[in-house]
Amino acid sequence: MTRRPPSLDPRHPGRLLRLRGAMDRTFTGLASGSILLIALALLVVLAPMLWRGATAVVFKGTVEFRRMQLEQFHRGDLKDLDAEMAEVTRARQPVYDMLDRFSRGIATDDLEEEGRRLYREFGKQLDRRDTPPGERIELRSLAKQLRDDFTEAVESTDKAAALGALGRVLKHADDPRLTGTVAEGFFRMARNYGHIVETVDLGRRAEYAKALGEVRDAIQVLFGPRPGEPRPPLVMDQYGATRWDMAEKQLARLLTAETWVEVQPGQPLQRAQVPREREFAGTNLAPLFPLMREHAADMLRPQTTLYWQYFLDDSLSGHYFGGVGPEILGTLLVTVLAIALALPLGVISAAYLVECAGDGRAVRLIRTCINTLAGVPSIVFGLFGLAFFVIYLLPKFGLPQGSSVLAGGLALGLLVLPIIIRASEEAIRSVPLTYKEAALALGVSRLRCFVTVTLPAALPGILTGVILSVSRAAGETAPILFTAAVVTGATSWPLWEAVAKPAKTLAYGSYHLAVGDRLAALVPHNQYGMVMTLILLVLILNIAAILVRSRMAKRLRGQ
Amino acid sequence: MAQAADTVETRPMGAAADFDRPLLLTPREDLAGYVGSHVGRAALFLVTATSIVAVLLIFVFIIREAVAFFVNPAALPPLDWTSTGSALAWTQAVLSSIGARLAELLGGTQWYPEAASPEFGALSILVGSLYVTGGALLIAVPVGLLAAVCLSDILPFGARQAVKPVVEILAAIPSVAYGFFAVLVLAPWMQEHLHISTGTNALNAAVILAVMAIPTIVSVSEDSLTAVGRELREASYACGATRAETMVKVIIPAAHSGIIAAVILGMMRAIGETMVVWMASGNAAQIPSPWWDLTQSVRTMTATIAGEMGETPQGSDHYRALFAIGLLLLMFTFALNLVTEHFLHRVRRAGGTSP
Repeated sequence: MTRRPPSLDPRHPGRLLRLRGAMDRTFTGLASGSILLIALALLVVLAPMLWRGATAVVFKGTVEFRRMQLEQFHRGDLKDLDAEMAEVTRARQPVYDMLDRFSRGIATDDLEEEGRRLYREFGKQLDRRDTPPGERIELRSLAKQLRDDFTEAVESTDKAAALGALGRVLKHADDPRLTGTVAEGFFRMARNYGHIVETVDLGRRAEYAKALGEVRDAIQVLFGPRPGEPRPPLVMDQYGATRWDMAEKQLARLLTAETWVEVQPGQPLQRAQVPREREFAGTNLAPLFPLMREHAADMLRPQTTLYWQYFLDDSLSGHYFGGVGPEILGTLLVTVLAIALALPLGVISAAYLVECAGDGRAVRLIRTCINTLAGVPSIVFGLFGLAFFVIYLLPKFGLPQGSSVLAGGLALGLLVLPIIIRASEEAIRSVPLTYKEAALALGVSRLRCFVTVTLPAALPGILTGVILSVSRAAGETAPILFTAAVVTGATSWPLWEAVAKPAKTLAYGSYHLAVGDRLAALVPHNQYGMVMTLILLVLILNIAAILVRSRMAKRLRGQ
Repeated sequence: MAQAADTVETRPMGAAADFDRPLLLTPREDLAGYVGSHVGRAALFLVTATSIVAVLLIFVFIIREAVAFFVNPAALPPLDWTSTGSALAWTQAVLSSIGARLAELLGGTQWYPEAASPEFGALSILVGSLYVTGGALLIAVPVGLLAAVCLSDILPFGARQAVKPVVEILAAIPSVAYGFFAVLVLAPWMQEHLHISTGTNALNAAVILAVMAIPTIVSVSEDSLTAVGRELREASYACGATRAETMVKVIIPAAHSGIIAAVILGMMRAIGETMVVWMASGNAAQIPSPWWDLTQSVRTMTATIAGEMGETPQGSDHYRALFAIGLLLLMFTFALNLVTEHFLHRVRRAGGTSP
């Protein structure tokens, strides 16, 4: 039996050939797919952080933001702001009025207290007016009667009973003996309360009180403390919603109540949204919600704001307000120290490895050590920095035992040393031999040849290595966890004093805002802003490195 | 003699040069050049040896703190080298102490370092490291290898130049940014879409670690695939093999040393990574059960060190135990590094090109 050979004619491929072709295409597809997957991963990781981080810098700032900037950072014009605040206060006034009117019907404790106060005042007034003793006793018992009836009306949850009690109070409204006395207050209160009883469902008063508390909180967060109220001690409580996106979130909280409803018995409760308008339907607070919905912009006046000072400002109240200035400064300090240590060591090592060293045992040991250094996990650098720099070495030079920028910079310097050595070695190696030969042929010493010919030619490559090291050092967190990083505290001036102290850095700040800080969840823009700054820094450095390298490649090709 | 060139007159013609100077070096100049060259060389060597010193210091200081965990000097019998019996007893005590501690560290699953009677069973922590690293490699090796093949053999030159920066930037993103993404973006997404109790778990950490390990795997294996050279490829194509067959049957086997090195380097990146696992793995010192359930929280060696070092007083047993874990990690990566170097050395010898 003979086997038919696979067809070699491409127009009529045999089955085997077709299968092989299909497998080849599948392979190509898989390989290209994995490239796409990698690009997609980059996009998926970067996009949300950069996009949401950008909202820390570009956003719609409200008048509260401008007020905060003026008061905390002395930025902006006082006169403009005052004019704006006056308008805003006018726009907000109806809201406060409505709240006051409604809460008078809800806060029964206040009403009862007011009744008791009136009774006491009335007694004092009687004493002062030296009424005849008989009439005084009679009037006093009448006032007591009024007070008790009013209290009964306020405490009652039954509409008829409350109205009856109020009627008993108002029966004495025409009593001539009471005109012009404090006791008239009872009748005013009784009439007001009568209106409330007509509109408010008394049985739901407790519910109203709770909902009113939520509404009040939401309005406090939106507008800040009410004018005339004492200033809260925390900076974050002193201002309302500084950003329109946060204001919208609060507005939603104000306009719809969230409750848990039992849909099916025995099943977990489900969240339900109830519009507050319906919750307060029929009361005199109901018009508040359409008002807020339609005129919130007038009360907060959002404007598109470019807050570039985000990269300079200190942060306030945790990271509630302000920017990442100290973090950027701390990162720069640590990084500059690391590079200052690693650059000379790295370039000299690379020069030795290329120019002087053969392939002896010592050189092989050095190479193994460089590779080992490159492979040491970053957390081990942190442990080493703690055990060696923080505890052992720096106290010997009179520094206090504890984390400092110096210790962190030294640990990071060792971390980036292999990167600089490798980049410099490659750069020095790729300098054309002809350059060096030409220089040596002119009779220059080897040292001079290296410094004046090889090094300048290798400089772009070394620069690439330095840029990449800076980006690595700025982004590493683990080595500075126990050696340099802190959450709070200002960077002290002058800088040489700051070096002996720990510092805030972008990398540690990002970690802290992501998991360590409960407050940070309230300000996602600042959370993402910190990591956006870090990524931006690293991206800019890396793109610069790529550009430098491609220009260098062109130059070496002789273009 | 290289230095001899030094003193030869090099001024251009016409310049005011001292022509009376002899061209030959005097013995003194010769000696000075010789000594200077060697002293310079020695100085350069000393600077270069910083790397050796740094590695030594790292080992010495990690071991110094870790040793006290394994051997408690206060509990040892007095040492008197002059008497054999005492020295034997001392050695025995040291060895048994190390053995007991090692057994506790590697065999126990109870990690309660701050309890009244502390327990240092790090097995579940080791297993946690294994889980996230293994999971990461499961994703990163196929994707990275395929991407490397694509870069070296499939994409045209222009596209390759565009893709390489993407891989580089993926490698450059700081680990804390990956951790941030894991905990604030990926974890809520997982919790919502996979219907699991917590979004910070072994799977989350493994996915992110895979993304971080991919650039290493891609660039090292691409280098070794390119180093195989045109001849083998062309021979294979000439035999009628398709591209897939060429890659799978010829080029990848020929480049296997570099690919193994790439995988090990990716593994080192994953196992030594701290911030991502600390933020994304959930930090529960437990061995998942059933064993294949990656959606449970685990805790790794690096995360344990990072999370607990800040809260433990210097010199306590807990502090030393963390250094012992650091030592394990260091020795592990050191061993992996030596293996990698062996494989990369083979690539260099076989490929004849610089890495």
